[in-house]
Amino acid sequence: MKRNRIIAALAAAGIFLSACGGSGMGAQSGEESGGRSASLDGTQDGGTLHVLTVQEGASTLDPQRVYTGAELGAWGSTFTRTLTSYQPVAGEDGTNLVADMATDLGTASDDLKSWTFTLRDGLTWEDGSEVTCADIAYGVSRTFAAEVTAGEGPMYALSYLNIPEGDSDFGSAYPGPWLADEEQQALFDEAVQCDGQTITFNLQVPVADFNYTVGLLAFAPVPKDKDTADQYGLAPFSNGPFRVESYEEGVEMVLVRNENWNADSDTVRKPLLDKIIWQFGVDEAVIDERMLADAGEDKNTIVYGGILPENLQTVFGDDSLKDRRTDGFDGFVSYTMFNVETVNCLEIRQAVWLALDREALRTAAGGPFTGEFAKSFVAPLLAADYEPAKLVDGLNEDGTANVEAAVAKMEKAKEACPELHARATGEGLRFDHPDSVTWQKNIAIWIDSLGAAGIKIIDNPIEPSKYYATINGDRGDLMRAGWAADWANASTVIPELFAEDGGFNYHSNEGDPAFAAFQTKIDQAKAETDRSEQSKLWKELNQYVMDQVWSIPGSATKSQNLVGSNVRGAYQWKPFGWYNLGAIGLAG
Amino acid sequence: MEAVPTLDAGLETGGLSPWQLGLRRFKKGRLGLFAFWIVTFFFFVAIFAPIIVRVLNVDPYALDRASLNDYGLPKGPLGSMSWNHPLGVEPGTGRDILGRLIYGSRLSLIIGTVGTVLSTAFGVLLGIVAGLRRGWVDSLISRIGDVALAFPSLLLIIALANPMTQRLESWGVPKGNTAKLTYILAILTIFGWVYMARLVRGQVLSLRERDFVEAARSFGAGTGHLVFKQLLPNLWPQIIIFVAMSLPGYVSLEATLSFLGVGFQAPTASWGIMLGDSVRYYRADTAYLFIPGGALLILVLGFNLLADGLRDAFDPRSDRQQL
Repeated sequence: MKRNRIIAALAAAGIFLSACGGSGMGAQSGEESGGRSASLDGTQDGGTLHVLTVQEGASTLDPQRVYTGAELGAWGSTFTRTLTSYQPVAGEDGTNLVADMATDLGTASDDLKSWTFTLRDGLTWEDGSEVTCADIAYGVSRTFAAEVTAGEGPMYALSYLNIPEGDSDFGSAYPGPWLADEEQQALFDEAVQCDGQTITFNLQVPVADFNYTVGLLAFAPVPKDKDTADQYGLAPFSNGPFRVESYEEGVEMVLVRNENWNADSDTVRKPLLDKIIWQFGVDEAVIDERMLADAGEDKNTIVYGGILPENLQTVFGDDSLKDRRTDGFDGFVSYTMFNVETVNCLEIRQAVWLALDREALRTAAGGPFTGEFAKSFVAPLLAADYEPAKLVDGLNEDGTANVEAAVAKMEKAKEACPELHARATGEGLRFDHPDSVTWQKNIAIWIDSLGAAGIKIIDNPIEPSKYYATINGDRGDLMRAGWAADWANASTVIPELFAEDGGFNYHSNEGDPAFAAFQTKIDQAKAETDRSEQSKLWKELNQYVMDQVWSIPGSATKSQNLVGSNVRGAYQWKPFGWYNLGAIGLAG
Repeated sequence: MEAVPTLDAGLETGGLSPWQLGLRRFKKGRLGLFAFWIVTFFFFVAIFAPIIVRVLNVDPYALDRASLNDYGLPKGPLGSMSWNHPLGVEPGTGRDILGRLIYGSRLSLIIGTVGTVLSTAFGVLLGIVAGLRRGWVDSLISRIGDVALAFPSLLLIIALANPMTQRLESWGVPKGNTAKLTYILAILTIFGWVYMARLVRGQVLSLRERDFVEAARSFGAGTGHLVFKQLLPNLWPQIIIFVAMSLPGYVSLEATLSFLGVGFQAPTASWGIMLGDSVRYYRADTAYLFIPGGALLILVLGFNLLADGLRDAFDPRSDRQQL
């Protein structure tokens, strides 16, 4: 359940919004070629790689707080190791789970409520000291500290570990290492046990794929004596091949080789570079210009972000860039949420869906390059749980509006729910979206295409950095969002977006008559330990949501990127939707 | 305006008011007259926008997917210019650029004219009061003016845009663009009156000592008569020049604000939004970049030339004047 990252920049053209990063596992056609740049032919040892980004800084470097796909991959491949990680290769094999700090993929008890991992020998921190089991347990305990992590990172430690509910800010009996008294600390120590090189996680629910969970940086070690609480995100302690030499928001971050990293203990990372310099706050248009010009240092440069839609034609229409460009699914599905509490009429929701010109929206975003029309809230990358759902009757395959069918639904709605019908056709439905140049066009398409079916839209642009915070409190009738799975299980998608305790459920759908049955089935699917049975349930639940139209699926999105001509080994690492920094080298 | 018999002017100029004199001179300046027609043309287009758009068949809001390629960019050369879309289409949506340009001129001109009229009206009023009353009233108005000038008004507009429009909306101003427009005009007026007021105050201070005013006063004329019959007719030339000079600034302010993201909401057509949008496509659709920019250039140039012409005609100290 990676959050859709919002990159907000007050650039010349105003504010733009983009999603980057993501996750997705399973089979997928190898489209992320990257040509010559993907292979490691002719690379030298050493060199300095530059990373350009429009962002003013990293969201955080704190392992327990980071939750953006690309950042999970970037920090994980450079300075934060975890018990498990992903196979460092291009293509679908990149989603295979491999052991990292652990010797293997862990052992589960028969009831799947207890997982045990054994640490490798020779794991070291950047000061040469040993990474211990206690460091990992301490790292995990930080997730419980609401005053430090602020709920920014994944909350799986809270929902999975066998710690009773209580009155901490996160509703747990354990309030994190800073506030816990001895009794409370004992609760945690019971749930996460250390025995020499062995760490055991005791869970309150059976989790069949908990070894994927511990691959999240939230389960990474933090040395207690180096922990600076909420300042840790500015200068984390490294146990990977690189360490953070300096980090200044709005300026740059410099990663240099960690001399105390023990290559023998690491089968995932094969670092070639000496130094990685992140340059923050570079104008997005300037980034594209520099990458296209490919001069000087920019030959040794990659981009954290993506190509602006207006430049896609330039990049993909030019064959000389064939070796330097990448294109592939990023694991995200974009969608438009209904506030089911205020739009409490299925016919109206169906009418909106039918009337919406999704093709025009996609064209405005940059055409088929930006993604394929989604038929599920689960991305196609997550092959095990992906099945195209049956969409509302009359929906045009090519994404264009079916005004006739929408008008017919509105006629039905007139009788079924006259009040809402009157509001939708009179005052209008309020659409909350982040304010940006792209959205000024998108909203015009919404107003135009829904207008054809007699549905009015009230435009409510919200400052991008405050968007999610705003709709958390004050919701309109429609809201936009995007989401990607955390690992290869739709348990990180469907419940998160639609269920009662979903971390990203903005639908206000608890009052819907169809909700109770849905929640029951969700609980059933979560408890299901047979993976293929579970997968069947996710598919059914996805269909259920489609039938209720709590949300309108938009696109399974793709991302495109351009690398400098000297960059080698830059492939899109599937689980994170970005490059594997631990594998990049420069041409000699 | 009716010829006002003033005591000093009557003898030399055959009973013509300064206004009539200036007008006569203005009509002789070719450039000024040309600029006048440019500006008139823009006002005409803005006022009759709905009709013009229908006659030319260029709907500013209609989407046209067919004129875009798979990248969402205009298909044909020069931003897909054609008979259907004389100035091409907007990338992403295929909306007609000419139609949006025509509608966009309304916003620019509304802000330009209403902003100027409001700040001029306040400026003239306060200037006259300060000049006539003198003493502490004058001091007070002048000091307030100094303070208003010291404010970085553009920064203030940007910083307060969201909270203040919300405040206005909660006071019952219609939501969205109306509230934004009200806010921008209010700020323009609050900070824009000072220059006009200073100018008028100076004029009034010198005029009130002139013989014809003294004479009128000695005949027992009231304040109303003094202001409307004696002072204002002699202030008009300055006011006209000032208005013509400040209009282009206000007109381009709409573009500036929309460009900076403080402007108006979609799907409203605005030159600033178009400008901001077109900059993104300078590589893929260069023609688009020149259209809103070019329109703004012509309009502002027109206003500036008009102001020049008016100053030449009305300002007696101007060196280029003939007659």
